Amino acid sequence: MIKITLMIIAFLMAVAVGILAGPAALDAQIIQLRVWRVVLGIFAGGVLAFCGCLLQGLFGNPLVEPYTLGSASGAALGASIGILIFGAISPILAFLGSLGTGLFVYTVARIEGGLLRDRLILAGVVMSFLCSSLVMIIMVVGGRELYEILYLLMGYLGVIINSSNRMMIIVLIIISLGLVAFLYRFHRELDIISQGSETAAGLGINIQTFSIIVFFSSALLIGLTVSIVGAIGFVGLIVPHVSKLLFGPKHRFNLGASFILGATFLLFADALSRVITVYELPVGVVTSLVGVPFFIFLYKR
Amino acid sequence: MNALQVINARFHYDTSVVIDNVSLSLTKGEFLGIIGPNGAGKSTMLRLMCGILKPRSGDITLFDKTLSEQSQKTIARQIAFVPQETHFTLNFTVEDVVMLGRYPYQRPFAREEKKDFEAIDYAIAAAQVEHLRKRPINSLSSGERQRVVIARALAQVPRILLLDEPTSHLDLHHQYSIMESLKKLNAEGLTVAVVHHDLNLASLYCARLVLMHGGRIVASGTPNKLINEETLNQVYGAKVRIVQHPDRGVPQIFLHTE
Repeated sequence: MIKITLMIIAFLMAVAVGILAGPAALDAQIIQLRVWRVVLGIFAGGVLAFCGCLLQGLFGNPLVEPYTLGSASGAALGASIGILIFGAISPILAFLGSLGTGLFVYTVARIEGGLLRDRLILAGVVMSFLCSSLVMIIMVVGGRELYEILYLLMGYLGVIINSSNRMMIIVLIIISLGLVAFLYRFHRELDIISQGSETAAGLGINIQTFSIIVFFSSALLIGLTVSIVGAIGFVGLIVPHVSKLLFGPKHRFNLGASFILGATFLLFADALSRVITVYELPVGVVTSLVGVPFFIFLYKR
Repeated sequence: MNALQVINARFHYDTSVVIDNVSLSLTKGEFLGIIGPNGAGKSTMLRLMCGILKPRSGDITLFDKTLSEQSQKTIARQIAFVPQETHFTLNFTVEDVVMLGRYPYQRPFAREEKKDFEAIDYAIAAAQVEHLRKRPINSLSSGERQRVVIARALAQVPRILLLDEPTSHLDLHHQYSIMESLKKLNAEGLTVAVVHHDLNLASLYCARLVLMHGGRIVASGTPNKLINEETLNQVYGAKVRIVQHPDRGVPQIFLHTE
């Protein structure tokens, strides 16, 4: 109970910091911008950490997350193709990008009766580089500002919300939260799958169907998130581990706690990105600065 | 009464035939041992029997109902399967691991109910892991972990328990205590089938044995009838000597050297 209370307090503090922190003086307009920013932070941080928890559970691999799996970069590629063609973000193309890279990585890592952990990460990192390069090419050829590339590749919560995109973003957030609620029901299946696919099959889980549902849904979630705020790395890696340290290995607690902790982490990271330098940094810069050492620590363990 | 019946089942991975037209009946309440050399198809047979693998042709019935027509959860309420080795990538407590055996009875989103707690209490007692109940699973020895996996299987409240080499890699104490637990459960009415490659243990504990070789059942019967030097020489390609167990009179096998 104490841990849950502390988690909620940290979350509320993150919301307050998210609204208050920053160089400019607070006025009604700034507050409105910041509130949107906080909403996006809660949504993106929550969803990415939730997906990280889900994918780590499904693959039984502590290093997997939307970014290391290549899905986030794939989504960024899809989104940038959308910008090139339609001049606007395209959630569907982002989803297809995320799904495509995810499937590629999955196929590479798949061997008879299982997945090779290390290959999953290697293939993911390679795909991530490939997609990033392609995004660069598309943006440069398309004559877009470098700023827009950085935003897609590193993530940025300060998206300008106006009458043209407000409805779409609200709808995407609602769809995502619905998917999160739907996927939460699988907490027992994920617990069981951590003990091997034969155990899972013996207890009555259809592994193939289950994997497809979870993999497909998380690709969709990653695609939706990236199409709004870009590919923010390492939230999905760090947060589920912190959650596990706090609440133990059961997914019943971890899926929910990952969402709240992920939102908290991203809000703090975003506030930091606003105050470190005179310029605003993409929030992914801050999450990577924290995330890379953490990744190395996990890999060495 | 037949608890489980395999009728002319065939199974193959890619091109190599693993199970070649096998028929086998598991009678309600019996203690069956499946023995045979490496690669004989024993483990595959066990996986067919619990529905993890589907036969390419032939039929399997569970209390006279076709296995493939039942949902995997329905099957898991009747047959529990203990794999040879379980890796625990997440460090659950023993109690939590056993509770996962209740999965076939639970609905999504629903919390554990009174009958779930009763079932795991029974399972934990029957597998003799009461003293380990609150311990993290990865702090246990491999023998203790195997007992926990058996407890998880018993939490399914199965009518049939299938085990794949439950005592391999275990010391004498754990071999003995696990086999004794299974014997007791069998005496209480649970139907048990065990894949064994330890022929002496199989002979000592199983009322009936089937001997597999090259994806087929080549012999079936009581240990006394089935275990003889000629058959084993033929199937295993090793020279053996057979003596009677000093207490139980069942055959025990020794390698023969000059």
